[in-house]
Amino acid sequence: MNLLDIRNLSIKLLSPTAPILAVDRVSLTMKEGEVRGLVGESGSGKSLLAQAIMGVLDDKWEVHADRFHWRGQDLMRLTPDERKQIITQDVAIIFQEPMACLDPTTTIGEQLEEAVSVEKLSGFFWQRGKQRRLAAINLLHKVGIKNHEICIKSYPHELTEALCQRVMIAMALARRPLLLIADEPTAAMESTNQGQIFRLLASLNQLKNMSILLISHDLENLTHWTNTVTVMYSGQFVEAGTTEQIFNTPFHPYTRALVDSSPRANMHIPAKSRLMTLPGSIPILQHLPIGCRLGPRCPKAQQACVQAPKVKNYHGHQVSCHYSLKDSY
Amino acid sequence: MSSLLQVYDLSKSYHVSQNIFSRKTIVALEPVSFSLEAHQTLAIVGEIGSGKSTLAKLLVGAETPSSGKIKLNGQTLQPGNFKQRCQHIRMIFQDSATTLNPSLTIRQLLDEPLYLNTDLNETERSELITATLKKVGLLAEHMNFYPHMFSGGQKQRISLARAIILQPQIIILDEALAALDPSLRSQMINLLLDLQQQMGLGFILISHNLGIVRHFSDTMMVLCNGQMVEMGNTHELLKAPKHKYTKKLIMSQRFQLANK
Repeated sequence: MNLLDIRNLSIKLLSPTAPILAVDRVSLTMKEGEVRGLVGESGSGKSLLAQAIMGVLDDKWEVHADRFHWRGQDLMRLTPDERKQIITQDVAIIFQEPMACLDPTTTIGEQLEEAVSVEKLSGFFWQRGKQRRLAAINLLHKVGIKNHEICIKSYPHELTEALCQRVMIAMALARRPLLLIADEPTAAMESTNQGQIFRLLASLNQLKNMSILLISHDLENLTHWTNTVTVMYSGQFVEAGTTEQIFNTPFHPYTRALVDSSPRANMHIPAKSRLMTLPGSIPILQHLPIGCRLGPRCPKAQQACVQAPKVKNYHGHQVSCHYSLKDSY
Repeated sequence: MSSLLQVYDLSKSYHVSQNIFSRKTIVALEPVSFSLEAHQTLAIVGEIGSGKSTLAKLLVGAETPSSGKIKLNGQTLQPGNFKQRCQHIRMIFQDSATTLNPSLTIRQLLDEPLYLNTDLNETERSELITATLKKVGLLAEHMNFYPHMFSGGQKQRISLARAIILQPQIIILDEALAALDPSLRSQMINLLLDLQQQMGLGFILISHNLGIVRHFSDTMMVLCNGQMVEMGNTHELLKAPKHKYTKKLIMSQRFQLANK
C-alpha cells in the first residue's frame, strides 16, 4: 500500500486581484521505505508541496487535490484537528537552516526534551523529568552524537551547522515518524558535512524503514541517495521515475538540460568548454506563461505547448511533455 | 617574464587579548606563496575556517597582511593603497542580493566606481555602463531599475558588471556560484569563461563544489586550517591527490559520482 498518494494537487495563492496558481496539478506517491528526491529550482513550489503535506499553509493559500491519501485515509475529508493528529504522529519535517530553526534562547537539551511525547513516558510525574532527559540523550545517540553531555548544555549558536542539523533530525525522530520530509537539509553546508547528513538519513531509512522525501534544488547531489526522483519546474510536474531513468534517460527537455548543465555529471567534457544551458531565467509567480511553463525557455517548444501537457506513463517513468525525448534513446 | 599576480609568504594572524597582561595569537593563514597568469583560473578549496576567505580579503585589500608581499605585474601592492588596488583586483560575493545597495538604481551602482576611479565625463560613463551591461547579457534599459526588480541570476550578473567595469585584471569569486540555481549557474559559468577569453582575466575561484572547480580552473590550491596542504594542476591533483585531507575532500564528493 502506498504511504502517501497525492493526485493532481493544486495550491492557489489568494490575492486581491486574481488567484495565482503556485502549484499546478502535481502528483506524488511514496511507498513505505522509499527515498524519493523532489528536485526543482527556486520557485518551483517544492517547499509549498512539503508544507501542504504537513498542512501548515495558512488562509492565504487554497489547497485542492483529486486525491490526498495517507495510508489509505483521505486527508481532505478530515477535520483540521483529526488531520493534525495523524500528521504529527506519522510525519516529521526538517528544514534548510537548522540554526535558524532552533530556539536560540534555550539549550539543546531543553528543546529535545520538549519534543519527547508524553505517551512515551510512564510512572508518576516526579519520575518523568528523568525519563525525558534519558529519552533526549537516547535521541542524540541515535543521530550519532556521542558527546551528549556537552551537546545538551549548549545553545544552538555554540554548535556547528551539521551538528544542529543532527539535532533537528533527532527532534524529528522523537515520535518515530513513518515519513521524514527533509527540505534541503544540506543547503549551505560543506561537502564533507553533507555526506555525513546524507549517510545518517540513509542509515535511518535502512534501519528503521523510514520513508524520506528529500527536497533539493540540485539534481547532482541527490542521485546517490535516492531510489526515485520527481522533478518539478515552476509549480508544474515535469518528470518522475527511478533515479537511473531520470539521470540516464531523461524524457523531458528540462531534465535533460539539468543533467547536461551539471559539470559534475559531465566529467567527459573538456574543462573550460561551454556547458549546455537553457536560455532565460525562471518565471516569477506574477508572470507565469500559459500552458507548459517551460515553454519560453524550451528548445523543443512548438505550438501545442500553449496547452499544458497530460502526464504520460511509460513503465513507471512519468513525463509531462508533448514532445518527450523518449524516442531519441 | 613576471606573472600577473605573485604572492610571497602572505600570512594573517589576529591578536586577541585575553586579559590585561596576556594576548593570544590566532593564525588565520600560514604563509602562502603562489602566482597567477592572465587567462588562468586558480581555485581555492577548503572547509569553513580553512582561511580561504581570509586569503581573498588579503588579496583584495580588505585586511592588511601580517607578513608577505603581493605583486601585480611585478609591482608591489601597498596595503592601504586602495586607489591602485581596487582598479585591478575586484571581488564578487556569494549573496549578490545583499551586496547591492537597494536604494540605488543600477546606473548609480555602476556609476560609483567609475566616478571615483576614472576621469571620464558623464556621457562617457553612461556609454561604458551600457556597454558593460550588454557584455554581461543585460539590456541598456535595465540601467534605471532597482536591484529588487531583478531575479537572483540577474543580480549576480550585475555584481559581475560592477566587477568588470573598471577593466580589472583579476576577479575574485568568493563562492559566487554556490547560491545560484543549476540552470543559471551554467549560464554564469559560460559567461565567466567567455569574459576570461575576451579580456584575459585571471580568476581566483573559491568554491567547495569540485565539479565546478574541475571544469573551471587550471590550478588548484587546497587549504586546511590556514595551511596550504597541496597545490598543483587541477586535473593532476584531482586524479592523484597526495595529502590525506585532499583525498578525504575528493572522496566526499566523488562517491556521489560512483553510480554514473
